[in-house]
Amino acid sequence: MLTKRLLSTTSAGLFQFDPLYRFKCGLEIHTQLKTRYKLFSLSPTSFNSEPNSKISYFDIAIPGTQPKLNPEALLLALKLSTALGCQIQPKSRFDRKHYFYPDQPLGYQITQFYHPLAKHGEFKLTQRYDNLEKDKTINIQQIQIEQDTGKIIYDKHDGLIKIDLNRANVPLIELITDPDFENLAQIKSFLKKYQLLVKHLDICTGDLETGAIRVDVNVSVNGGNRVEIKNLGSTGEIQDAVIYEYTRQISELQQSRVIQQETRGWNGKETVRSRSKEDAVDYRYFPDSELPIINLDSQIGQDIAKTLPEFPDQLMANLVESPYKLELKHARFLVEIPELLKYYQDLFSILTAHKVPAKQINNWFIHEVLGAFNKLDISVDPQILPSSTLAELILKVKNDAITLTVARTVLSTLIAIPGSSIDQIIKENGLAKPQVDSTDMDQAVTELCQDIVDRNPDVVEKIRNGKKNSVNYLLGLAMKETKGKVGSKLFLQKFQALIK
Amino acid sequence: MIRNGVKQFLRGVVTNSKPDRWNSIISEISSCGGNGEKFTVKDNILTIGTTTCGSKILSEFESPFDATVVKLLQDKGYNLVGKTNLDEFGMGSSNTNSNFGPSVNPLFEDGEYVTGGSSGGSAATVAGGLCEFSLGTDTGGSIRLPASNCGVYGFKPSYGRLSRWGVIPYAQTLDTVGIIARTCEKVQEVFEVLDKYDSKDPTSLSVETRKEISTVVSKRNSLRNGMFNIGIPEEFLVEELSDATRNKLSKAAEALLDMGHNVVAISIPSIEKSLSAYYTIATAEAASNLSRYDGIRFGKGDENLDGAANVVKGNRSLGFGKEVQRRIILGNYTISSDSGDHYIKATELRRHLADEFNNILYIPNLLTNSEFESKDVGKCDFILASTTINTPTTIEEFLHKEHQNLLESYTNDILTTPMSLTGVPTISLPILDEGKAISTQGIQLFGQFGDDRALLQISSHLMNHLL
Repeated sequence: MLTKRLLSTTSAGLFQFDPLYRFKCGLEIHTQLKTRYKLFSLSPTSFNSEPNSKISYFDIAIPGTQPKLNPEALLLALKLSTALGCQIQPKSRFDRKHYFYPDQPLGYQITQFYHPLAKHGEFKLTQRYDNLEKDKTINIQQIQIEQDTGKIIYDKHDGLIKIDLNRANVPLIELITDPDFENLAQIKSFLKKYQLLVKHLDICTGDLETGAIRVDVNVSVNGGNRVEIKNLGSTGEIQDAVIYEYTRQISELQQSRVIQQETRGWNGKETVRSRSKEDAVDYRYFPDSELPIINLDSQIGQDIAKTLPEFPDQLMANLVESPYKLELKHARFLVEIPELLKYYQDLFSILTAHKVPAKQINNWFIHEVLGAFNKLDISVDPQILPSSTLAELILKVKNDAITLTVARTVLSTLIAIPGSSIDQIIKENGLAKPQVDSTDMDQAVTELCQDIVDRNPDVVEKIRNGKKNSVNYLLGLAMKETKGKVGSKLFLQKFQALIK
Repeated sequence: MIRNGVKQFLRGVVTNSKPDRWNSIISEISSCGGNGEKFTVKDNILTIGTTTCGSKILSEFESPFDATVVKLLQDKGYNLVGKTNLDEFGMGSSNTNSNFGPSVNPLFEDGEYVTGGSSGGSAATVAGGLCEFSLGTDTGGSIRLPASNCGVYGFKPSYGRLSRWGVIPYAQTLDTVGIIARTCEKVQEVFEVLDKYDSKDPTSLSVETRKEISTVVSKRNSLRNGMFNIGIPEEFLVEELSDATRNKLSKAAEALLDMGHNVVAISIPSIEKSLSAYYTIATAEAASNLSRYDGIRFGKGDENLDGAANVVKGNRSLGFGKEVQRRIILGNYTISSDSGDHYIKATELRRHLADEFNNILYIPNLLTNSEFESKDVGKCDFILASTTINTPTTIEEFLHKEHQNLLESYTNDILTTPMSLTGVPTISLPILDEGKAISTQGIQLFGQFGDDRALLQISSHLMNHLL
C-alpha cells in the first residue's frame, strides 16, 4: 500500500525518508567527453550521423589494429579531476574489462580498473547556491577514462537487431562517488551542479536526455547490501527509482528478508532485477599492455588549475556583488547558460563605460532583452543582436533620443529582422522624437489632450468621481496617436491640468 | 567492411589456388607488378583481401589494408607471391593446427615431416625455394622452430623494432614479426627495410630509444674490438637434448672460440620457470584478443542461431579449432577472478627473468636501466643455445605423441620462450652436422634487447667461418 501511494506521487518533494531506515546512496556517472576524435582512434566523434559512418578500423575491432590514446580526452579528464580537487595519480594505466555484447566490438572495454587517473576528490554542495537545507560534501572515490560502446537498435518493423558503432570508442569518464547521499535533494542538487560544471569546463554537453551523461545509482538501507540501478535517463527517473528502491528494500526488511546484492533496471514504474551477485559477469580484468602507462608530472594538477575558468559558485558570488549586483536567481540563470553570461558581461562592460547604472543594465538585460526574445519565441542569441547594437539602443534611451516605448519597438524589430540598423528602423517607422521647440510642443500636446478629453466625456467623468487610474486610458490614446514619440509624463501632466 | 577494390586490382589478385607440394601457401597472390625478389607472408599478417590466420572464423574476412611491414617491402619493390600456412592464430609448434591442414617439411623426401610452427608455411616456402624470404611471427618460438626444422635462418628481432600494425595478435606483449631466409645476408637486408618506427603501433620503439641503443652498441663494439663473450646457460642443456644436439652446440661453440671469441658457461636460473610464465601470459592475452571473434562481424554468421549469447557461443564453437579453444579456456581461467592473480605473478616472473638476463649481459637493457657499466668486461655479449630438443618427426608421429600427451608439444618451448618473454633479438642458425648437406636442427644465438645488428653480424661471421 505504501509503495502504491508513493508511486502515485511523482513529486519527489513530498517524499520523506523514514528515520528508522537509514538511506544511503552513491552514484556512478558516465560522462561523454567533447573531444574532436575518439578515445583510441582518429574517427570524428559526431552524433546523429548515418549509422556506422564514423568508424575506423580500430573502432570496429579489425584484428591487427592497435589503440592510440587521444591526448585531448586525457586533458578533459584531468580538467574535471582538478576541478573536483582529486589526487591525480602519477601513474595510471588502462585495463581490459571482458564481456560479450553485440555493441562491444572488441569483446572487452578498455577502461581503468587497477590504476585510475584520479582518486579522492570532493564535490561541495551549499545551502546558498544549491537550494539545500545545509551544506554537504560528497566525496569522490575515483575518476577513470574509458571507451563508450556502440548502440543497439531493435527494429520492430523488420524484426532485426541493428548495430551502430558510431558511438563505439567515444571517450567517457566514469566518476564514482562514496555512498554519501542522505536524501533526494542532495542527489538532485549534485546532478544539477555536476551538469553545470562539465558544461562550464566545456568537457561535455551536460545533457542527460541525449545520453551524454548516464547515471547508475547504488542504494542501501541500514548498512545492508547495496543494490545497483543501472541506466537512468533523467533526474526524474533517478528520483523515482531511488524512492521505489528505498521503499522496496524497507518492505523486504519488514518481511525479514535479506536484501541481495544485485543489479536492477528501471522500467518506468519499478526496479527489476537484472543480475544477482551469483550470476554476475566475471569481467576478467587484466592490464591492456599495448597502451603505455600514463606518467604525469606531480605539478600537472596545479598547471591545469591555472587554465580552468572560475567555477559556477564563484561566478554567482561575483555576479551578486558589486559591480553587477544581480539578484541570486538571475545570477544562477546566467551562470547556467555560459553564452548568455558572456552576452550579459559584454553588454555590462560597454554600458558601464558610459556610466549607465548597474540596476538599469540588469533591468534592460533580464527584463527587456530576454523578454523580447522570449515574446518572439526566438532563443537568445548574441549573433542576432550583438551586444554593441544593444548598447547603442540603450544609450539612445539614456540620452533621451528616443523613449522607452520606441526602444521596445526597435528592440523587437532588431530581433525579428536580424542585421537591421537602429536608425533605419526609427526613420522608416517615423519613431524619432519630434524636433520642435518646447512652446510649440506644449501647444501641440495641449491640443491633442484637449481633443481626447472632449471625445471621452464618460472617462473624464469617472476620473472626476475619483477613479484616478482611468487616466491611463486617456494616456494610452495619446501615446497611440503619437506612436510613443512623446514621453508619457508630459501627457499625464497635461491631462491632470485639463481634468480638474 | 571497407574494400579497396581498385587498389587490390592494381596490386594483385588473391586466388585460392591448389596447394603447392608442401601445402605451404594457402592463398596465392598473382602479382601484376613488381619485378623484385619474391617473398611470402604468414597469413596472420594483413594484406588487402583474404587473411585467414589459418582459422575458419576468419574464412570470410577481407582485410581493408596492408600491414606496415608488407607495405614497407612492397614500396621497396619486393614481390609478394603468397600467404603462408600457420597454426591457427599462431597457436602451435608443428603447423598441424591449421584449418588448411599441416604444411610439410620440404627437406624430407621419405615421408611427411613436420615443418614446425607456427610459421611452418613461411619456413617451407623459403626452404622449398618458392621465394627468397618470408615474413613470419614469433610469440614463443614460432619463427625459430620452423626455421630450425626446415634448415633456414629464422630471426626474431627485439620486441618493438618491427611494426605490429596489421599483425593479428595472439599474445600482444610477445608477438614479434620476424624474417625467414636462406642466407643471413638476406635476413640482414630485409631487416634494414623493416626496422622503422611506426606511429600506428603504440608498442613500436621510439626513434629516441633506437638512437640511444645504437650509441651504446657503438661504444660496446669499439671496446670489444670484434672479440665478444659468448655465454652458454646450463639451464638450456636440458636432459632431453639428444647427443646430436649437444654435438652441434659444441661445434658452434668451438667455431666461436676458433674465431677468437670467449665462450663461458653461465647460469640463468629463471629460465626453468619460463615455460609456465609463458603459457600463463600467452593464453591470458590470447583469450582477451580473441574475444572480438564473436560471430557478429567475423565468422559464418549461422542464421539459425537465436539470441546474442547463442550467436557468440555457436560461432566460436564452430569457428575455432581445438587448440585455440583450449588456450582460450586456459587463458580465461587465468584472468578469471576465481583463479587469483596468475597473470600478475607471471609478469613478475617475467621481470625477474629479464633482470637475470640484464645481469649477465654487458650492455644495459635500455627499457629498464640505461647506465652502461663498461668496466664489467667479463659480462656476456651473446648467448648460445639449441633451438630444438630434437630433429623433426613425421607428422603422423607428432600427432600420435600429442594425442598421448597434450603437453608433449609444449616441452620444446623451454628453449625458445625465455627470449620471447624478455623480448631479446634471437636468431636460429642452420648449422650443418659433419658430412651433411642440410640442417634439420638449428642453433640459437641471442643478445641484449636492441642489439639486433651486432647479433646478425656475428651470426653471419660464424656461418661463414663454418663453411
